[in-house]
This record gives sequence, structure tokens and C-alpha cells, in this order.
Amino acid sequence: MALPVLPSPSNFLGVALVINRSRDGPRFVFHYPQLVPAPGLSGTRPECGKDADDDNDLLLTRPSRLDGFETSAPSAPHPANLAQWNHDDHLVTESGTQIVPWEHVAGFPTKDLENILTPARAYHKRLFQVSLDPLYCVSYPIYVPENGVWRKKKRQQRKDAGAAARRDDEGVAPGDTDSANRSGEKGVSEDQSEGRDPAKGTAKTADEAEDKKSSMTMFNLVFFLKPKKHEVKDLVDVMFVHIIKKINKAYKYCQQRSDFVWKESKKILALKDKGREDKRNMSALWEDILQNSSLAQSMQDIYDAVSQNKIAALQLETIEGMVTHSVQIPVPFHISDIPQDLEGDECGLWMTTANSLISDEAVEEPSYLDKNFGLLLLADEKKISAELQGDPDDTTVSMIEFVRHCKPTLSFYQVGQQSSNVLTPLQVRKYAQHFIYWRRAIAIPPLHARDMYIVNPNCDMRKLPQATARWARQFPLLPALPNFLAELSVSPRPYKLHCPSKAHRPVYMAMLAWLMRGGWVTQLCTFAYVVVWPEIIYEVEYALEAEDIARTKRSQSGANAAPSSSTGAAALGDVAVAGFGMSSSFLSLTADDEPSDVASSVTTLRDLSLSHSQSLAPHQSSDPDLTPPSPRRTLSDPQSHITAHINTSLAMTPATTSQQPTAAEKAAEKARLERIADKAARELAERATAHARKAVPEQTAHPSVNAAKHLVGTSPHIILDAKKATGKESLYLSVIEKRLRGRSAALASSATARISRDRNVSNNSIHGNRGGAPVGVAKQGRDAHTTAKDDGRVADAWGKFSKYFNGQSALERIALQEDMKRKDVWNLLTAMSEYLLCVRHW
Amino acid sequence: MIQGIFYARFFPQQGTKIVAQSPPGCIVPVHGVDKPCLFDFNVLQEYIIPRKAFCNRYITVNDPEGKYSVLGFPVSIPNPRYDRNEFIFNFGIVIECGRDGGYDGNPSNDIDQVPYERVVRRLAVTFAEMEKQSGYLSQDHDRHPPVDEQQERGGRVIGSYRRRPIESLLEIIKEDLNNYGECMIPVDDANTINMKLFPHHPTPPEVKGWHVPVAKMKFADVVDPTWDLTLQRVITQIDGVSDVRRIAYAADVSLELTQLALRHLLYYDTILLLDIFFFGTCYAPRPGIHDFIANVGGMVDECAHYVCVGAANHGTPPSDRGTGTSTGGSIGPGEGPSSGSSNPMDPKGSGGHRVSNYMLIKLMTTFCVGKTVMEWLKGHMDAGFDVLRFVDVRRLVQFGVIKGCLYRVHKYVVSKQYLAQLATGQAVPMAGGDPLQKYMDGCHTFDQIITEQNLTDAEIMNKLKSFPSSGVGDITVIYR
Repeated sequence: MALPVLPSPSNFLGVALVINRSRDGPRFVFHYPQLVPAPGLSGTRPECGKDADDDNDLLLTRPSRLDGFETSAPSAPHPANLAQWNHDDHLVTESGTQIVPWEHVAGFPTKDLENILTPARAYHKRLFQVSLDPLYCVSYPIYVPENGVWRKKKRQQRKDAGAAARRDDEGVAPGDTDSANRSGEKGVSEDQSEGRDPAKGTAKTADEAEDKKSSMTMFNLVFFLKPKKHEVKDLVDVMFVHIIKKINKAYKYCQQRSDFVWKESKKILALKDKGREDKRNMSALWEDILQNSSLAQSMQDIYDAVSQNKIAALQLETIEGMVTHSVQIPVPFHISDIPQDLEGDECGLWMTTANSLISDEAVEEPSYLDKNFGLLLLADEKKISAELQGDPDDTTVSMIEFVRHCKPTLSFYQVGQQSSNVLTPLQVRKYAQHFIYWRRAIAIPPLHARDMYIVNPNCDMRKLPQATARWARQFPLLPALPNFLAELSVSPRPYKLHCPSKAHRPVYMAMLAWLMRGGWVTQLCTFAYVVVWPEIIYEVEYALEAEDIARTKRSQSGANAAPSSSTGAAALGDVAVAGFGMSSSFLSLTADDEPSDVASSVTTLRDLSLSHSQSLAPHQSSDPDLTPPSPRRTLSDPQSHITAHINTSLAMTPATTSQQPTAAEKAAEKARLERIADKAARELAERATAHARKAVPEQTAHPSVNAAKHLVGTSPHIILDAKKATGKESLYLSVIEKRLRGRSAALASSATARISRDRNVSNNSIHGNRGGAPVGVAKQGRDAHTTAKDDGRVADAWGKFSKYFNGQSALERIALQEDMKRKDVWNLLTAMSEYLLCVRHW
Repeated sequence: MIQGIFYARFFPQQGTKIVAQSPPGCIVPVHGVDKPCLFDFNVLQEYIIPRKAFCNRYITVNDPEGKYSVLGFPVSIPNPRYDRNEFIFNFGIVIECGRDGGYDGNPSNDIDQVPYERVVRRLAVTFAEMEKQSGYLSQDHDRHPPVDEQQERGGRVIGSYRRRPIESLLEIIKEDLNNYGECMIPVDDANTINMKLFPHHPTPPEVKGWHVPVAKMKFADVVDPTWDLTLQRVITQIDGVSDVRRIAYAADVSLELTQLALRHLLYYDTILLLDIFFFGTCYAPRPGIHDFIANVGGMVDECAHYVCVGAANHGTPPSDRGTGTSTGGSIGPGEGPSSGSSNPMDPKGSGGHRVSNYMLIKLMTTFCVGKTVMEWLKGHMDAGFDVLRFVDVRRLVQFGVIKGCLYRVHKYVVSKQYLAQLATGQAVPMAGGDPLQKYMDGCHTFDQIITEQNLTDAEIMNKLKSFPSSGVGDITVIYR
């Protein structure tokens, strides 16, 4: 998930509320911040600098624009005066015109802006976007309903309408609406309950008549943006979808219920008119307005929060009570690869590939997430609990319970179990999502002392000085942050080795959580593929060839026995049969294979045999009657009756064909077929001798170092996804499983194994580096004691684990996924390591 | 694609009118064209000829459907000779917005408006100038009344004026820009409109002295004498090995100018910036390495083609240093990543041995955090594979970095004392203090120190040991 283009004070200049009235026309109500800078005026047009060199447009245009500016507004102040103006005091020109500081926004007079920013009804609840040079005005205008009445009429209806409006308001949110409503930020739902308050209802019927026709026909909260040229669309989209639309809808909701926008606008306009007469300083007036109007206050909140990319919490004091609503631009808390621009926005984000799999896996297995992820709270547990209690509702208690149980070392699944089932898995999932969406937590693979953590290559080193100071306050008696990071970064090793003693473990885990939160570290994960060594490849090829020869032999002898001229057909039919024969012989190799594997190998072999039959087909293509059996064969039940079935069909075929030809033709045909049969027999014999001359596959204890002559030309094969392996690859996998099963025997028999293994382990093991050496050594010590029972476990695990050998699933997470002990998993994996190609990253 | 192009004018009596449009009927309906207009002109007209305050600037607006954007540059020419002392017009174009309201899932979704901005500006400026000089547009009005009035008038070429009507000009502009991306249109004897759509690229990042530029194309083939002289000198030194500072030195160009020149090349995406290769540095895999293992797009074969060295070269890593620019370094890096996929592998490979795909994957995957290239090399040597004999390690690493399989693990030095000063805002450059101190905030890689201070890694480490500040344990080295 890439980071969206985010608003910042440099590309988000301000917000302004503009209304239109039926008789008095448009009015510019309020803008924030006080001074919205004019993007073009100062002559700093950053993007244009580059164009200017070969573009004379600018040279030509600028003077003419100045002309226009001066002549267009006769009351315009002298440019020199304007330049020195602090935009706070009132100016009076020589002609006696008063220039009011708040009547110039973004370099334009508000008189003009209010016209251009009140678009026609066609834009009602649609994107309205107008750009004035580099300044983009983006909004979502809201018009009064056609009947001219904002307020919904009857009380019953209003309740429904309120709900409808809410649904409408929330409908745009991409699926996080539930969470948006459930929490402390549940805006509209709360005041809906207040709306049911009967006391207020009676009073309302009275003003309904008076307020029937509001003179305000539309309102429009406009956002002034100044995106860079290449990010216009992205910034506008992001702002529109997540902020502009939602806030205008929230305003509309309040306007419909209590005429909020109009009443507040009247209040603000009155204050401004008075300020104009009194020539009040803009800053004083603005302070006044912000204190008096919750609408103005909410605009300030929006600007201050959104331009810093924080969560904006609106608090609108309508006469029916407080309406609260929160908006934000959701940002990813992680990225999967190092960003292009190391100093850009993405700098400092935590890196992981763990989440990139979610979409695929979550569909297949909903519990995947539960087992693989835990929740890391971004703030103190107590602080979050306090926040929740500050705004209680019916979910507060269970949410606090959830916060209490959440530990970064526990997966959601474990949290559910630990809370002694107070929390259902569904609750856990929903709450976690809620906390993540509202940036109170992130989802991480649970922390574990056996896992390895490295300095996040994307960490923001510019924050190091401050972070070091905070670290020192948090963990005063422990190594300083730079030292600890240095220690982590020198060479990766299990985290527990950094911890001086078992007693320190909890605090070291807290340190790790702190580092994760700040994006300072990331887990170093291991990803594996299955490597098929030449020895295995050869063994499978050899066996396949032997089967093939045996089958052809059998079919030829069968054909000779057959009464008539259908040799080819018999051979063809027999291919399938032989295929099953072969598969059964392979099944004997993999006796305790899981059923699914058996099935797959059967299909595989059938595939093979089919392809063989196709390759045989050209030989008989001259004989049209011989082809029909093949579709019939594929239709028939493959298991048992096939031979008989085909035989009968074959028996019939010659009968029908032999009726027409004359004796001479028959003889010729027979001779021809005999020639073909002879040729086939000769070829077969040649193949058989060639096969016999080949070296018999020898099973060494360590196929990876088998340098036998017949293997020299073959290079190892990598299975990219063992779960989806078909054809030969699945045969390789079952052969490897068989090897693992007989491993100890092989080890015992070969005296030289130990030496070669040494080299092999250091080469090939999961811990193929300095840090991992101890495991390798430990493993060798154990080699001597490996028993057949262990081998069985390894072989069983091979089948179970192979779905993780796809280069995408971190081996570190197998234990969580399979609910096994980490140590056992590692031992099993180490036993398999000869057949794994491992690569490590985050 | 330009969907429509129009010429609008403000008339003192009739208000805003479309005088010319192409295709006919795209903005306002005309007799004989049944196709609906692209949008409701009445809704948008206040943005086509806006209030005076907004004239003489580039203005865009979207239509309510979210389907089209109208790009215009309303021009107001004040002059007493006009009615109401002012002549206001706008040459605008309509293009698809490519927003969700429009075509969903359509490939045309990503329409870049930016190139059209120049077109609109150029039209406005040219016609404004022509109007100022000769009243080109205001005179034209006599022959070309607004569209709704001109319907009954058949022929529009009037003998005495031997110039093109604006409508046909607009049509040519639209067609040429849509079909060729540029146009050259003689408006009258004296004026020609030349326009071209240029793509807009974001500003490239800064080029630092310790970056190593790698050419993505053969500059020697495209350079011509009209190129900037500095650029010409700089490109001859780009060999995929030298860092920017070295290039500046070798080209006898100042470092700043070299950086500027390279940034220019970066803007046009003709070079890549890598890091300096040392045997003592670390590289580690990134998730992109899975594409390498899966040999996506024949990547491994491409790699083999690029990194395998001939048997003749064995023993030492072949260095491109000093082999000049035309063959050695610049072709290799440039050609390897870009064209390799089209020629899967070249078994003759300069007479050397082609390392098997498996071995290359093995080599690539065994890079690891905390293991220097030297240690990595030694590991493979011990395992019985003489890497240097078969593989150009620098090229292998570069290939990995370029393809996103590997990243460089940078080395930073951090002084705790200096950090504490920074945190409290007291950091003052120590007068006569160590020149290295400013590098100790964790934001400066060793590569930077090496190039800027002209020291080797080992020399820096030695200096750090004798760093005067606060004694033992103050300085730590972080790898990231």
C-alpha cells in the first residue's frame, strides 16, 4: 500500500465557508487560517521556474496580469501599500476606501471569491473543483432541497430521515464506518438519541413554521489547496473522499436538524460587520469568532488537524446538543519495501511484508489474521482507557477489557483466549480494526524473544536526537538508544541474546515494543523455497523412464496378443492403464502420504500419460478409426473398469472397420501395422538398453553434495510454491519426504556424511550466517541421536509445512499458524534445511 | 485527448458567447449537429469568462458530472477603443477528467492535464498579443458573430480578408495535438502558433557527491554538439563506478555544476543513482528478490549475461575503472538492465563460463544484514565456489540494487553527546573542533564522510577512536 499524497501546510492553504442566499446573494462567511497566503502573488511560483526557461508565456503574461489587476479594481490599494500590509489592520486608501483585512483571501477579494465559489445547483452533492493558477478550490456544495426547506417536517419522519442522513453520511466511508460509529468518535449516533428527547420536540413545532423557508439556499465549505503539479489529482481525490465530502455532510446533517449552518453564519457575519465598522484588528476579531461560533471552531479544528495529517474531531454545538464527528485520511502504518525517496513522506514507516499477504489469505482463512497478528498500542494503555471512559457507550467496558488484554506479544487469537473468552473473536477483530483505523494501535506479528529484529532500513534518523532523549527517560537504567540500535544492527541474532538475563526479559520486550512503535526496528524474517537437488531430479526422471519403458513393453506384448490390427489403439488405450500402474507403483514409494497428495500425484500421472498418448497419436494418425477410443476413455471411470472397458471397445472397433476392406487391403494394412509395431519394438529396445546403461540412482545421505558423474549436467531446481506444485514438482516433493523419513538410516550407513554435512549446513541452513551458527552446531550434536521416530515427525511435518515454502510466508510464523512450539518448529525446519533455499528480509 | 476546443468572448450586450468551437456543437448546440454538448454551458460560463479579478490567469473547472475539465485562460485587455473599455476572451479546451465520476476502470483514467496548461497559456498569450497589435480578434467579430447568429450565414471566407477563420484554426490545433502531440499553425503572415505537449515529471531528488550515476542509455549515441557543454563533459565520465565527486574531478567541472547536470539527466530518467561499491560494505535482500528467484522476465538470465566473467579474467575482479566510457562501464550498466530481457542469454558470454541460474540465485540470496561483501565472498569460497573467477561481484551487486533485489546497508556514526545537544537545541559547531562532529547525528552515511572528507573507511574509524569529545562509549556505529 503506497502512501497517499498527504495534505500539509504547504499544499493545504485554508478552508472557507461560503453561503448563498435567495435574495441577498452569495456571502463569504468565514475562513481559516486568518491569513490564507496568495499562492501566485509573491512571484514564488516554484513549479514554473523550470518551465520558464523555454516558455515565453510567463514573460508575456505577467505584465498583462498586473495591468488587469490594477485596472480591474479601482478601489484596489496601491501595490506598495499592499506589500507592507500586515493583513491585520484596516487600510484606508487616498480615495477613502476602507480595506478590510478579512476581505482578501488567498490574494483575491472575497467579493469575487464568494461569487465564483457558489456554483449552480448542478453541483449539489458533487465534486466542485476550480483552479485559479496554482490555487485549487475544492468542495462539495450542499443545496437546500428543491422545496426550499432545510428541515425535515414531521418528527417521526425526522427520526428516519436522521437515520437515513446518517447512513447517507456514512455510506461513503469504505467499510470502516462501523468502527467510526462505535467508538468515542461516534458522532451522529449519539445525538440521535438526544433527538428523541421528548421535551425538545414540542418546542420545535413552533419554530418550524417560522423557519420554513430558509433564506440560505446553499452552503459550501471550500478547501484551498496548492498541490504540486504532478500530485493534483491524488491530493484532490484524497481530500475529497476522506475529508471534504464527510465534513460537508456532517454540516448538512446539522443544518437539516437545527438550521445550524445558517444560524452560525448569521452570528459570524454579524460579528464581522461589527468588526468592520469598529475597524477591529483581524486577529482580535478572529479570536472572538472562534470563541463564539462552534462552526468557526470546527473549521479551525479541521484545518489544524488535517494539515498536520491528524484526526480532526468536529464538535458542533447545535441547539439540539453536541454533534461530534471525526474525520481523517487513513494512512498506512507500514510499507513493504524501501521507498524510492529516502527522505520523503514514507521515511520512518515501519517495513514489513507480513501484511501484503493479508488480502489473499484472509479470504481463504479468516483466522489467518487472528493467529498471525497482534496489536501494538501506540499510546499508553491507561491513556487509551481514559479516552474510552471519557466518552462512554455500551461498548466501552469490553473495549477497555480488550485494551487491558492486548499485549504486543500476543496474537489476537491468544488475546481472545486469555480474556477467558469474555471477548469473542469477532469483537477482538472489530476492536482491533477500530483502534488501528483511529491510529491508536498498529497490527504487528506478535513480538517474540526468539525472533530476530534489525534496525529498520527506513527508520527516520532525523528523529534520533529526540528519540534518544525520550528513550533515556523511559528506560533510564538500560543502554542508550544509539547503543542499543548499534547492537541490533551489527549482526542479526535472536532478540533474547541481547538480553543480559532472564529477569530483564520483560523490560527488554517493552523496549522492543517501543522500538517497533517508533518504526526503529523491524523483524528479520526467513522465507523459504524448496530446492530439488540433481540427485532427486535424477531419481525421479529415472523412475519415470523405467515406468515408461515397462509400460510400453507391456502394451506391446498385449498388442501382439491382440487378435486383429489394432496394435496402435491398444497401445493407446493401455497408456492410461499403464499410467495407473505407474501411479500405484509410485504410491508404494510414498506409502503414508496424505490422501490429498495421493490424489494430486494420480492426477499428475494421468496428465503425464495423457501427454504421452498425444505424442503417440501422430503415429496412428493415418488410421482414423483408432482415435475414437480416447474421448471415451477420458469419460469412463478411471479407477478399475477402464481396461475392460477399453478392451471391449477395441474389440468392437476392428469388427466394424474390417467389414469393408478387401482381403488384399487387409493384408497390406496388416503388414503396415506390423512394420510400425516392429519399429516401435526396436525403439523400445534401444531405449531400454540406454536406460539400463544409465547409472542407477543412488540415494546418498546428502543429495546436495552428491557430485556423482551422472549428475554433473543437472542444476538444482527451485520449486516456487510447494503448495501449488503439480507434475514432476509434486513427485520431487514426495521423494524428498521419503528421503526425510529414511534419513537416520542413511546417516548411519554413510560414514562420510558428517563431514559433508558440516559444509552443507553452513552453506544451506536457515541460519546461514554468523548469528545462526549455534543452532547449526547444536543440530549436529543431535544428529547422532536422530531416531526413526524423529524422522517420521520431520517427514510428516514436511507435508504440513510445505505450504509455507513459497517465498512469501515467513517461517517464523509457522509456529503461530500451526499452534506448535517455536522450538519444535525450528528443529523440524532445521532437519529439512538441506532441501530449502532461504532468504531473509523484513 | 482534447475533447473540444472553443473560443469564447464577452459581448457587452449579449454576455458570454461561444464564437468558435470544434468539433461543432461540443460546447453550445449548433444547427445540424445532433450530438449533445459535452456539458451545460450555462452552468460553467461564469468560469469561462469569470469576474475581472480572475482574468489573466489559468483557470480550470470540472463539470458537475465529473467527466470533463475545462481549461481556460480568460484574457482581459483594457483599452479605451473597446466598448466598455475592455475586450475579454478565452481560448479554452475540454479534456476528460479521468475522475471516478467519469469512466470507471477506463484506461484513460489517468489523463494528465498538466501538458495542456502550456497550450492554453500559449493560445491566450498569442491571441492577446495579436489583438493588441492588430485587433485580430475584435475585427474578426464583424465577420464572425456568435455561433447562434451565424447559422444562417453560409460561406464564411470573405474576399478581402485572406486569413483563416478561427474555427478552422481551432480544429487544426485540436486534431494536430490529438494526433501528433504538436502543431505548427500559421495564423497569418506574421504569426505562427507552435505548440507541443510535454510530459510533466516531478522534480528529481538532489544528486549528492557520493552517488554513483549509472547510465540507462548510451549517451555517446545521442549526444550532439548542441548539448550543454558541461553536460557533454560530464556524460563522458559516467561509467557506473565513479561517484559524482570523482566525475566532477575527472571532467574538470565544479561539483555543483556536475550535480546540476546529473539532476537534469535524472529528470529525464536517463540515469540511475546508486551507491559506491566497496568490498567492505553490506548488502541485504529486499522483497524484490523473490522476482529474481522466480526468474520473472528472465531476470536471472539477464543477470548471468551481465555478471559472468570470462575465464581469462579470473583471479581479480575485472574493473571498469579507466576502461573508458564507450565500451566498458557505460554500456554494461546501461544495456544490462534495459535490454537484457530481450536477449535471454548469450552462452558465448565472452568465452567465459556461464554460472548456472541456481548458483546466481544462491549468490544473490546469501547476502545478509551484518555480512560484508568480503565475508560473503569468503563464505562462498570456503564452500568451494570460486566466486571471483566466474562472477563480477560489483556487477552482481549493482544488478541486485538496480533490480530492487538488494539494498545497501549504510553505516552511520553517532555521538550520544552530540545527539543530546541536538535534542536540547544547544548544538553549536565546536570551534576548532573535530570536522567529523557534524556527521555524528545519524543522518550522514559513511559514504558521505568518505567523499567529503576524502578519507577511507579505516581512516575515519581511526579518527573516531581518537575523537576528543567525551571519552569512552560516546560514539557508536549503526548499520541501517
